[in-house]
Amino acid sequence: MKKANLPGAEGAVPSKTALEQERKILLDLGNDLTRVRDKNDLIALFSKRLKSLYSITHAIIALIDHKDETYGAFLYDIENSPIKSHPGYKLLFGQRFTLNEPFIKSVLAADGPISFILEEVMDQPQSPAFLRVNYEGGIREILMTKLLNAEKPIGFINIYSDKAGRFTNEFRSIMNGIAPQLSSAVTNIIKNEELRNKEKEKSFLLEFSSDIATVRTKEELARSVRTAINKLNQKSGYVIRRINEDKTTMSPYVFDLGLKEHDQNIVNALQKASYPINDGLQNRVLESPIPLLFNVEREIQRGLTAPYLLNWQAMGFKNFLGIRLRNGETNLGLLFLDIEEINVPLLQGICSQISIALANIMANEQISKKQEEQAFLLNFSNDITQVRTKNDLQAAIVTVLDKTLHTKLAMIRVIDEDGFHMSPFMFDKTLFEKAKVDFEKMSANVITIEEKYTAQVLASEEGVVFNIEEELKSGNAYAQLWKTTGLRNSYGLPLRVGNKNIGTIWMQADRLSPLILRGICAQISIAIANILANEKLLAYKKQLEVENDYLKEQIKTIYNFSEIIGNADTMQKVYRLMSLVAESNTTVLVLGETGTGKELIARAIHNASPRRDKLMVKVNCAALPANLIESELFGHERGAFTGAIDRRLGKFELANQSTLFLDEIGELPLEAQSKLLRVIQERELERLGGKQTIKVDVRLIAATNRNLEEEVKAGRFRADLYYRLNVFPITLPPLRERADDIEPLIHFFVARYSKNTGRRIKKVTPKVIQQLRSYVFPGNVRELEHLIERSVLLATDGVLDEVYIPRETNAEKHEQAYALNRSLGQVERDYIIDVLKRCAGKISGSGGAAEILDIPGNTLHSKMKKLGITKADYFS
Amino acid sequence: MKIVVIGGTGLIGTKVVAHLRQQGHQVIAASPNTGINTITGEGLAEAMNETAVVVDLANSPSWEDQAVLNFFETSGRNILAAEINAGVKHHVALSIVGVDQMQNVGYMRAKKAQEDLIKKSGVPYTIVHSTQFLEFLGGLASQAADGNTVHISALQFQPIASDDVAAFVAEAALAAPINGIMEIAGPERSTLSNFLSRYLRDTKDPRQVEPNDNNQYYGGTIPNAALVPAGKAKLGAINYEKWLAGQLKKA
Repeated sequence: MKKANLPGAEGAVPSKTALEQERKILLDLGNDLTRVRDKNDLIALFSKRLKSLYSITHAIIALIDHKDETYGAFLYDIENSPIKSHPGYKLLFGQRFTLNEPFIKSVLAADGPISFILEEVMDQPQSPAFLRVNYEGGIREILMTKLLNAEKPIGFINIYSDKAGRFTNEFRSIMNGIAPQLSSAVTNIIKNEELRNKEKEKSFLLEFSSDIATVRTKEELARSVRTAINKLNQKSGYVIRRINEDKTTMSPYVFDLGLKEHDQNIVNALQKASYPINDGLQNRVLESPIPLLFNVEREIQRGLTAPYLLNWQAMGFKNFLGIRLRNGETNLGLLFLDIEEINVPLLQGICSQISIALANIMANEQISKKQEEQAFLLNFSNDITQVRTKNDLQAAIVTVLDKTLHTKLAMIRVIDEDGFHMSPFMFDKTLFEKAKVDFEKMSANVITIEEKYTAQVLASEEGVVFNIEEELKSGNAYAQLWKTTGLRNSYGLPLRVGNKNIGTIWMQADRLSPLILRGICAQISIAIANILANEKLLAYKKQLEVENDYLKEQIKTIYNFSEIIGNADTMQKVYRLMSLVAESNTTVLVLGETGTGKELIARAIHNASPRRDKLMVKVNCAALPANLIESELFGHERGAFTGAIDRRLGKFELANQSTLFLDEIGELPLEAQSKLLRVIQERELERLGGKQTIKVDVRLIAATNRNLEEEVKAGRFRADLYYRLNVFPITLPPLRERADDIEPLIHFFVARYSKNTGRRIKKVTPKVIQQLRSYVFPGNVRELEHLIERSVLLATDGVLDEVYIPRETNAEKHEQAYALNRSLGQVERDYIIDVLKRCAGKISGSGGAAEILDIPGNTLHSKMKKLGITKADYFS
Repeated sequence: MKIVVIGGTGLIGTKVVAHLRQQGHQVIAASPNTGINTITGEGLAEAMNETAVVVDLANSPSWEDQAVLNFFETSGRNILAAEINAGVKHHVALSIVGVDQMQNVGYMRAKKAQEDLIKKSGVPYTIVHSTQFLEFLGGLASQAADGNTVHISALQFQPIASDDVAAFVAEAALAAPINGIMEIAGPERSTLSNFLSRYLRDTKDPRQVEPNDNNQYYGGTIPNAALVPAGKAKLGAINYEKWLAGQLKKA
């Protein structure tokens, strides 16, 4: 290799003018260098001035990279280069050339500028490619001068000439002289560039920081990050993933896929998914304090199967960068950026800003979520305070759970009064639609507070979360049922008022906020406690009302009954029977005409019985509409029939351990008779619409004014019921059969009504007594009582001297009692007319009236004539 | 083959880089000075691009226990993470003979942590366990000197010249990963006090060595034979004499 070396300083002594000239050129070049502001100006200015003085074509400055001991073009002026049209020329500027080859080693070894004839060096093995390219571009000789900084080579200035031998000693001397200035100019440029970049980064980060400081929402964050990334790289896509609440997965939070068009299906899939953190990639990013550069293909080859990687591959992403977002020591998520080069400090600056923004947004979200939860609890609390019934509560709970928590109530169980059993209080059937049968079965089971899961829940402070999958494995019978909901967890929480457990609430959900749960449970507990108290209160109230009614009635009756007035033999017989039967539980059938005091007798029996401490319950079978009798007697469940809006106890239940007085039993419809019969036989009943059998201990007293035997015959009364009732019949005599009792009764009633009405009756005239005694009283004692009441009111001067005995009317004339008030002739006449009517006017012969009357036809004829019976009488 | 030498501008690093370049490999001498910082991650990913082998010769800038541990852990983690991402096929690290036996010394704990990171990283590796360098003799004398007396323990000692270390490391980098530990040592074994006596004498140092049996090394008590290889080690070619001749020549 032939080197065209600068002859030593000790060579030809330069002329003085030459030295002057050289000094001037150096000064000019030095001035140029100090004027340079832009790095490209440097080489342009430098080569321009050199060109004006010397025959050179162009110059470039190359820099050494000590990291890998290479060098490459740093400052160049392609536009003014004579070989710019060479196809290989521009490629040179990206290339690095090794320092480890003879050509450049000789440059480094030289003390000053060293020139080479290209033809001689370019084809040497390992010679850098730019030599040949330049040669092909017409360049013949190159002058290389190394640039030193602190004694160490930092680069070269390469000067090219298209003719060999142009690099004069004078020129070499100039280059030698200007090299140190050039070195410091280059060093300054590098330093300035570094500073400018740092400055740029800082102002960028500052801008980003002030931009992101305003970020309050996810959308603003997305916009802000987009702006920042646009400034770094025009087309990068990015995604920020956030660690989900479960701490094991991450989901995209904000993202932008850049300028590329992508399959919307893939984008949607990416957007909605949540990825396990430990997928071999996300965890690497989260664990790395520095940004990591990934290659999509390589990660897939490595065997990673994260779906987003495959999607990215499909979308054409090649390399991407992953950096964790972290606030203090807590990882919040990560940023994936579709970018090839990493400016670590810049990225870390960006990411710490994003992290802060993210933390702020999350804190904001948490606060607003908390506020929402609290507002929600407040609303719920408002709803709950308005709840008075179980139905209201159920509606409120279902709404709340469904609309706000997106969960469903499985079951609320309430501890029974025995403090041990737990009955279902309410549940949402819709939750277990898929397993309806199971649920009905399981919910019907009455469990106790010692049931395994219930005990766990009741013992816990804030409830227990059962993972349904795990419970399935452990063989929890309920888990099978829970599984049908498709939800992940089952929440069992204790319902407490103060420190007292009142029940449990079960819900199924994937996740529930503990704050909400606690709040809701407290509210529900109170509501349930209120409802239970309310129900109890209502029950007590009702019971008191009923008792009050009966007491009133009893007072009335007792007042009425202070004595059963009457000493007649027939009455004595009644008293004897009463005293015989009262002590037992035997069913008593009180018979007697209307107004003979059947209820009085019934009460007397009850009051003489061991059941006297409880109220006797009375049912007037005649007073009830046929379709309500059953519900009245046996009660009904809610919803048993239209209008049955509430559960109702029947009279039988009310009369439990007491006496039930069935008045007017003869009027009971046949249908009710059979049910009544069953109750009497079995001593147990079911409410209408109910499934439960209720045992009752009731003593029955029935009363009627009908002749039940005849009713039985006529098919209007069940024979079996009749025999059941007719165990101990007590027949009350009509008043007309105990005329001696009339006078005491008159005085009794006069006393009562004169007191009630405030009219003092001093005396009842014997005439009145006589009148009343001779009256037959078809209405018996009741009629007497009312006659007296009326007479008392009509009496004017404290003397009862007139009674208003009803006149006989046509309608009543057939009444037996009236018959007794008539003359024999009248009776005879009426009876004959009756018989004639029955015989359809036939007087004699077979089936004639005479045959029935057992008198000869002629006799009948004459009697009819005598009594003035005409056809008009018996054909009317 | 592209090889990245972390700490490539240091004592061993420079030599390893030179060895590898001499054999025609494309070598990046990585250090914060050359724009590759294993702590901040700057330039790391770019350097790893297309790299086949990484030689980690990085050393902590601080000697305080916690700082050293932090350095080796962070640096090790970052390098290995970048290697995994770039698909690097061989990680070579330089560590110390007896590192497991000297866990009472902070620096050794840090080196152990670094080794553990490498072992569980999944990157094929070769860990080179070297004995102490002959180059340390001067420093050892100074830290143990009390006036004109050097109090030093008679520990087993088999120092190796840094040139040999560099040659072995370069060799390991070009060989297939052994996924284990390779021990290297100097050709001569004696006691630390003997080596120091010779060194002081040969360098005309007036200080006198006072040997003891305290088994102290840089202030920590260690087993007497901790600093020499327990099994078969590759031995360097440069013995004390040869090394000293080289040193004196340079001076």
